[in-house]
Amino acid sequence: MIKAILYKEWIKTRYLFLLLAIILVAFTAYCQLRIGKVVSLRGAAHLWEILLTRDHTFHETMRYVPLFSGILLALFQFVPEMQQKRLKLCLHLPLPQSRIMGTMLGFGVNLLMALFVATYLIIGLYLYHVLAPELISRILLTMLPWFVAGFAGYAFVAFTVLEPTWRRRLLNVLAGVAFIRIFYLSSYAEAYNQVIVWLLIITLALVGFSFLSVSRFKDGVQ
Amino acid sequence: MANFVYAFIIRLNDKHILLQLFTRNIAMNPIITCTNLTHHYGKRLIYENLNFSVPEGRILGLLGKNGTGKTTTINILNGYLRPSSGECTIFGENIRHINPITKQRIALLIEGHVQYSFMNIEQIERFYASFYPKWRKEAYYELMELLKVAPRQRIANMSCGQRSQVALGLIMAQNADLLILDDFSLGLDPGYRRLFIEYLREYAKSERKTVFLTSHIIQDMEKLIDDCIILDYGKILIQQSVSELMNRFKKYTFKINDARSSLPANDEFYNPAVYRGNGELFSFQSTEYVERYLGKHSIEYSQLKTEELNLEDIFIGLTGKY
Repeated sequence: MIKAILYKEWIKTRYLFLLLAIILVAFTAYCQLRIGKVVSLRGAAHLWEILLTRDHTFHETMRYVPLFSGILLALFQFVPEMQQKRLKLCLHLPLPQSRIMGTMLGFGVNLLMALFVATYLIIGLYLYHVLAPELISRILLTMLPWFVAGFAGYAFVAFTVLEPTWRRRLLNVLAGVAFIRIFYLSSYAEAYNQVIVWLLIITLALVGFSFLSVSRFKDGVQ
Repeated sequence: MANFVYAFIIRLNDKHILLQLFTRNIAMNPIITCTNLTHHYGKRLIYENLNFSVPEGRILGLLGKNGTGKTTTINILNGYLRPSSGECTIFGENIRHINPITKQRIALLIEGHVQYSFMNIEQIERFYASFYPKWRKEAYYELMELLKVAPRQRIANMSCGQRSQVALGLIMAQNADLLILDDFSLGLDPGYRRLFIEYLREYAKSERKTVFLTSHIIQDMEKLIDDCIILDYGKILIQQSVSELMNRFKKYTFKINDARSSLPANDEFYNPAVYRGNGELFSFQSTEYVERYLGKHSIEYSQLKTEELNLEDIFIGLTGKY
């Protein structure tokens, strides 16, 4: 039965998954090309100098890509469920409500995780050939808040879309914007190193907010 | 013996052990029970203290005008709406906490025949099949063959009627003990509607299924349902078998000599009216009762006629045209 729910989620999101994979690969490739260009024109030493002396990681163009990935995934997963109150079909399935919703949200989080980890691996593997491990770590840690923001975007959009009333949806959006803003407050490299683990824990906990929306939906709140 | 069930209820208390034996025909076992059901949307009362039950093996139609609470009742029964007060049980379980195993025994058709329109015919069958142990794939594909659509055509790209047929096919394939169908005839063309009604009745009777349904097309219900509940704003107007209703409920028409006369209110009459000297009223009472009533109120009349009614006329007679 869990496999069937995963199958349904996959049908809804498979084309988006491909699109997001292409977008992430394209942005990643663009960033690596910029690095490659600096190395070929000015040499690796110049690249190292920029990375060490300026808050520039050559990946700034990717800043909002994970966030939009998370938002789009949540929209593709949950808007069809709320159109014509189709979520009723899901909740009528002979499984506990928490397991149904847990599976759907778990699918989304894991799909994002797969995309983000793959992106990280591509970046890490490329940089391994041109940069010292400390510099690779600096780039990856600088990018980490953007990817956590992707999960936060997913959590808040799911929470908002599954909410049955427009007034509460608006409040959820405002709360989401305020929370996600935190990830973009600083543009300094590694600015979030001290708090990123906590932000990640809070973000993953926020995914659970969707259960509240579903509970309100089930109570027939209008 | 198969038609009887024996239930032993053993009550333990300080001094006594009571053994009670109940013998009851299975057909009278209520599958759905609603007790003192009350619901409001904001300050607007939908109904108050509604009590009804649906016996096993019966097909019960919930009829009512728009806004009387048919879909509200279906939503409450399926746990999608918390009633203001009251309680409903299905298969003896409170509808707010139904066991997943019990849910396998309940097939639900949502108003508008809503289904996963992003899937195609094959995908949706594959999706649902794993949830229901008594799934009948062949029943689904038999109905789908009538559709004349490609197996890989997305449901979203089908006509309204075709989508309805997919939803009904899935209901049939589930092979559930209880079918809850909200406005099942919506969007179906007359031929398929007739076919589905015949199929559903045959299926429900031969396999002893219980069906609880609503429909806007009441003439269809006459051929399908055993019992009906007619909802009026705020309450149940009537709950009884369709055959009894059709035998007992009559329309009386007559000419009134004084065109200015009106018909005094009487609890036994539904929607009495006079229009251009033609009187009409609906009642469960006999012709003699109507004659006595007209005589008692000194209403001069002639050509008193009694009309047998079909279910749609009965519905209008009970609820009025407006």
